[in-house]
Amino acid sequence: MRGAAVTLATMAALGWPLVAPKYLVFLGTLVAINAIVAIGLNLLSGYTNQLSFGHAGFLAIGAYVSALVTIHLPALPVPLTLLVAGLATGLVGLALGIPCLRLEGLYLAMATLAFGFVVIEAITNLEGLTRGNDGLRVPVTRIGPWVLDTDASRYYLAVAVAAGMILAALNVTATRTGRAFLAIRTSEIAAQASGINAAAYKTIAFVLSAFYTGVAGGLFAFVVGFLSPDAFDVFLSVDFLVMIILGGLGSVFGSVAGAAIVTVLNDSLAGFQAYRPLIFGAIMIACMLFMPGGLAALARRKS
Amino acid sequence: MSGSALAHVVVSGLATGCIYGLVALSLVIVYNATRTVNFAQGEMLMISAFVAWSAQRTAGLPLPLALACGVVAGGLLAYLVERVIIRRALEATHWDVLIITLGLSLVLRAAAGIVWTNDELPFPSLFSNRPVSIGPVRVAPVSFGIIGASLVLMLALVALFRATRLGRAMRAVAQNQNAARLMGISVEGVYGSAWVLAAVVGAVGGVLIAPVTFLSTKMGLIAINGFTAAVLGGFGSMPGAVAGGMLLGLIENLAPLYLPTGIRYSVPFLVMIAILLARPRGLFGRVERRKV
Repeated sequence: MRGAAVTLATMAALGWPLVAPKYLVFLGTLVAINAIVAIGLNLLSGYTNQLSFGHAGFLAIGAYVSALVTIHLPALPVPLTLLVAGLATGLVGLALGIPCLRLEGLYLAMATLAFGFVVIEAITNLEGLTRGNDGLRVPVTRIGPWVLDTDASRYYLAVAVAAGMILAALNVTATRTGRAFLAIRTSEIAAQASGINAAAYKTIAFVLSAFYTGVAGGLFAFVVGFLSPDAFDVFLSVDFLVMIILGGLGSVFGSVAGAAIVTVLNDSLAGFQAYRPLIFGAIMIACMLFMPGGLAALARRKS
Repeated sequence: MSGSALAHVVVSGLATGCIYGLVALSLVIVYNATRTVNFAQGEMLMISAFVAWSAQRTAGLPLPLALACGVVAGGLLAYLVERVIIRRALEATHWDVLIITLGLSLVLRAAAGIVWTNDELPFPSLFSNRPVSIGPVRVAPVSFGIIGASLVLMLALVALFRATRLGRAMRAVAQNQNAARLMGISVEGVYGSAWVLAAVVGAVGGVLIAPVTFLSTKMGLIAINGFTAAVLGGFGSMPGAVAGGMLLGLIENLAPLYLPTGIRYSVPFLVMIAILLARPRGLFGRVERRKV
């Protein structure tokens, strides 16, 4: 049953650009990218209970790093560029994560919120590097002889990366590290009493989460083709939170479902900008009051 | 920089600081009662300011009455939100309430944009904005108005918390909920009162600052500065919130004189990160012990 569902989903994902119109292929690419961010955020917030309001900041770092790498090293194949973006963002995650070990809950949320703002201000002001508010054009990318200049090619790149990262996340949660994450989530003190080095695992979660988001940022840069700091404001971070709250904290498939729903909803509400936050806010409140655990918990209860 | 110009910056810094202090107080009042932070506090004061604007513009009320309308509307909104949404979730982990209030802030901001406008509106002030000279120093009366009104409200709060039954009940709940309940205090009643009181304090801050910053749906972002102020003072301490607010207002207004201007908007965030990392419990905060 589960195998069949996975096969079906894979086939649908692979066949999508063959049947769907160009714009929907682009939308599918965004879903894949947002799914990577949602999984990354879920590894941090869902698994180790560290709420982050600053993931748009990580996404921005990944996007600008990969754009700058592509501009200055055009010969580098895309997967390596993405890896560099992920590692650079992971490093920032490490730098933020270690001091943030001292914080929890509310304080961590506010520190990450502040981090997001500072990243945007830094990008705006480092005009020599990022061109500030004028924005940065991202050149077309290539893997060896292939030039990724069509929507379909970028779609396949994003989906391939997303599939790899979904598998990796599923594996993480099935390992000792994943179990340590979940133990910390249930009770940090009890986890420590059971011999889990909470500080180390929380830092690992921070770095992993930043790495995922950085890779997604790299893809985002290629897909959108133009970066400016205001695309990464705090409301984007809130969108990511809505994804994992709707999908289910601590669930990989929930993250993907939440990312898909929020991305499509975001797009279909493009003509009703004023109502978008109203609906997203209502979703957050309703999930917390009536559907704790999100769609993932709902699916578990049904089966 | 001349001394009189510096004095001008200091006075306007203290005026902004008073507003941050009021917003910080409203966050702390809710936190002390319910151990959770209301992320929608900024949006609630924004709604109050919009209601006051409508009361003056549309209903034609005199300004003081219109401002009072805004403050009362803020209190009513808080009462409704607390009764209808928050109280259902208080038994859950503190995370849930945090996320609910975050959702609420999105809803309120969008609703204000739909009902009123997303543009910036000028907001009438009780005090003049034209600088007057006091000796060699030129300051805007609006700064003194803000400082004076804030101080009056803060003194009223001191009286409320020291001398009234409600104030003592709120302090008791802040110290120990179970003990307070055993002493016959209605903890739920305190939750509701805290929300209303916080909204009123925030609303006063909102209608005081709106003439300076203009009225807009983005006004709610001032809650971030309020939060920074509260953290500076040690979250949970009310005198700390006021001191933190003043300090933040001064830092924010003085920093651009000595640092590149681009950094100005990052100041509250950099201060917050620095404080949280160096002293996570705030400058004057104490470590709380927890039992498993």
